[in-house]
Amino acid sequence: MTIEVSAETRLGSFKLDAHFVSDGRLTAIFGRSGAGKTTLINIIAGLLHPERGRVAVDGSLLLDTEKDVDIPTSRRRIGYVFQESRLFPHLSVRHNLLYGQWFTPRARRYAAFEEVVELLDLGDLLGRGPPQLSGGEKQRVSIGRALLASPRLLLMDEPLSHLDDARKQEVMPYLERLRDQASVPSIYVSHSVAEVARLATSVVLIADGRVAASGPASSMIAKIKRQALTE
Amino acid sequence: MIFFLSPTRRGFFCSLVAAVAASFLPMPSGGNAAEQGPTVFAAASLKDALDQINATWQKGGGSPATISYAASSALAKQIEQGAPADIFISADEDWMNYLAERKLIKPDTRFDLLGNSLVLIAPKNSELTAKIGPGFPLAALIGDGHLAMANTDSVPAGKYGKAALMKLGVWDAVKDKVAQADNVRAALVLVARGEAPLGIVYATDARAEPNVKVLDTFPEDTHPPIIYPAAELAGASSPEAPALLAYLKSASARATFEAQGFKVLSQP
Amino acid sequence: MLTLTQQETEAILLSLRVAIVATAASLPFGILVAMVLARGQFFGRSLLNALVLSPLVLPPVVTGYVLLLLLGRHGPLGSWLAEYLGLVFAFRWTGAAVACAVMGFPLMVRAIQLSIEVVDRKLEQAAATLGAGALWVFLTVTLPLMAPGIIAGAILCFARAMGEFGATITFVSNIPGETQTLPTLIYTFTQVPGGDTAALRLTFISIAVSLGAILASEAFVASVARKVRAE
Repeated sequence: MTIEVSAETRLGSFKLDAHFVSDGRLTAIFGRSGAGKTTLINIIAGLLHPERGRVAVDGSLLLDTEKDVDIPTSRRRIGYVFQESRLFPHLSVRHNLLYGQWFTPRARRYAAFEEVVELLDLGDLLGRGPPQLSGGEKQRVSIGRALLASPRLLLMDEPLSHLDDARKQEVMPYLERLRDQASVPSIYVSHSVAEVARLATSVVLIADGRVAASGPASSMIAKIKRQALTE
Repeated sequence: MIFFLSPTRRGFFCSLVAAVAASFLPMPSGGNAAEQGPTVFAAASLKDALDQINATWQKGGGSPATISYAASSALAKQIEQGAPADIFISADEDWMNYLAERKLIKPDTRFDLLGNSLVLIAPKNSELTAKIGPGFPLAALIGDGHLAMANTDSVPAGKYGKAALMKLGVWDAVKDKVAQADNVRAALVLVARGEAPLGIVYATDARAEPNVKVLDTFPEDTHPPIIYPAAELAGASSPEAPALLAYLKSASARATFEAQGFKVLSQP
Repeated sequence: MLTLTQQETEAILLSLRVAIVATAASLPFGILVAMVLARGQFFGRSLLNALVLSPLVLPPVVTGYVLLLLLGRHGPLGSWLAEYLGLVFAFRWTGAAVACAVMGFPLMVRAIQLSIEVVDRKLEQAAATLGAGALWVFLTVTLPLMAPGIIAGAILCFARAMGEFGATITFVSNIPGETQTLPTLIYTFTQVPGGDTAALRLTFISIAVSLGAILASEAFVASVARKVRAE
C-alpha cells in the first residue's frame, strides 16, 4: 500500500505544510507535541479539511482540493485508533467490535471476528461494558474495533500515551503482532522514541508543521534520537 | 441496545409502548353513546335541574346527554367558535339573540323555557338583614368585604344584578366592592364558603345551596325580565336533539324545574 | 370519599390519554428542534429559541387564545385542516392534546437540548471513521447517548400535560367526556356548591399521578444514565 499525503493549512497561528509518501507496514509520524502530527492524520482521515491538500491511498483519490474531491470520513475506509480509545459506552465490548463490521459490505470484509479477538486476546472481555475495562484493555478493544471495519489503512494517534508504563508494556506486543500478522498497513503517531524504535518500519519526522525528514526506520532512528536529545 | 435493559425494564418499556399506541386509537365504544346523545350547552344556574332531567330522560330511553355548564356568555362564544353543541339554553335573551343574529340557531325551534328571580344572599350564619328598596344601605352592609356577583358585563346574572342596583341607585356606591365570578354558581360558592358577606344570585341557586340564606328578593321592576330561552343550534348533529328539546317542555321536566324554584314559561 | 363517579373516572382517563398523546406526538419534533438548537448555527437561531420557549413565559390563556385563533374552525389553519384532512381540533380531545403539547414542548426541548450538549462529539467522529454515515451516527450513537435527556423531557412534558389548564380551557373549553380533563373538572368542582369533597379527591389523585410519574421515571433515567455514562 502506498499513501501520498500533501497538506497545507492554517489553524490559528499554527501553519501546516507537510508532504510525504510512504509504503511501509507501519509508518511512524514522529515529532514533539504541537508539531502537527494529529492535525496531519486528521486530514488523512477526513476529520479535518485543509485549505489545500491531496491524499491518495494506492492511487485512490480521497482528497484533492484542486479537483474538488473530498470523500467523507465514513467512506474513506480508514480505521482510526484514538488516544482516548473512544469506545461507545452504551454498547458492550462485543458490539463495539462489531460496530464497524455492520457498515462494511460483505464483499469488502477481510477481517474475521474470531481472528481479531484472538490477535488481541479480547475473548474474556467480550461480555463486559467499556466502563469496566482498564485503560490497556480499552485500547486493545479500540484497535480491534478499527480492524473489524476492514480498513485499507489504520491510523493510530499516540494510542499508548494515556496509559501507565505497565499498561504500555501490556499493549506493545499486540501492536507488534498487528504489524506483523495483520494485513492492513498502519500510520502510527507518537512522540516516544522508544515506541517508534520498536514498532516502525519507516519514519516521517515532523517539526513545526513541516516534514523535516523521512525514510526507512533503520536510517531514521538515529536522526530522531538526536532530535529527541535536542529538546 | 435494547438488550441492555433487564427483563423487568424491558417489560416496563413494552407496556409503555402499548399504552402509547392505545392512546392514539379512536375513543373507546363508551364514547359512542355519548356521540349519539345530544350535547347541551346550558347556563350554570340550570345544573341541578338539568342533571335530574338528564337522568329521567335516560330512564325513558334517551341516549345520555352531555351537558356543559358555564356562563351563557362563555357558551355563546364557544358556539360561535364552532363548539359542537346541539341545544343551547341561555339565561338571558341577549345571548340567544347574539347567536340568532349570526344564524347559528334554528329560529323556529326557539322558545322561552323558564323564568327566575334575583335575590340577595348571605352565608347561612350571617347576622345581616336587608330590605331592598331605592337607596338601601348596601355599601354599609358589605362593609370591608365584597359583593359576589357573576361578571357584570357579560354574564346574565351579573347583568341583571347590575341593572337592578343601578335602578335602585346604589350601584355607584358598591361597584368597587364587587367580586366578579366566572358564572353565577361561582358567585354562589363564594358566599357559601363565607368568602363574601353578600352576593347576588338567582332564587333557584339560593334554594339549591344550604349554606346560604336569602336576605331579600329584588323586585321584578328593577331589572329586565329574567327569561331562559332554549333553542336547537344550526349545527346540531345528534338525531335526538329535537326530542330532548321537546322533553324539556314535558310534564316531568316542568315538575323538576318547579321543584328547584324556576318559573316555567313554556307551553307543553 | 374514595370512590370515583363516572364523570371523575372519565376525566382521569381523558387526562391520561391527552397527556400520553401530547407527549408521544411532540417527541420527534422535540428531538429535531433540540438538535437544531444545540448544534445549528444559522440566522434566526435566537428567534427559534425564543419561539420555542414562549409558552413558558406567556400566560397560558394567551397561548390558548392564539391556538383558538389559528386552529379554531374559522382559523386559517383550522379551517384548512378540517376541509382537506378532516382534522378538527377545536373543542375536541385532539385540541386538548395540542394545547398540552404546546405547553409542554419547551420543557421537553430544554431537557433534550441539555443532554445533546453533553454528548461527546468525539464518539460521533469515531463512529464516522468506522463507516457510519451521518444518519446512522445519529441513530446508533447520538440518540442512545441522549436517552436520559429524552426520557426526562418526555416525563416533564407528560407531567405538565396532566396539569395543563389555562390554555386547554381557553382553546377547547370544558365538555365532559371530550375535553373535560382532570384539572378542568377540579376547577368545575371548585365553582359548584358542595363540590369540595370531589375537588379534594381529584386533587390527591392529580398529585399522586404526577409525583408517581416523575419518581418512577427519575429512577429509570438514573439507571439508563449509569449505563451510558462515558468512562
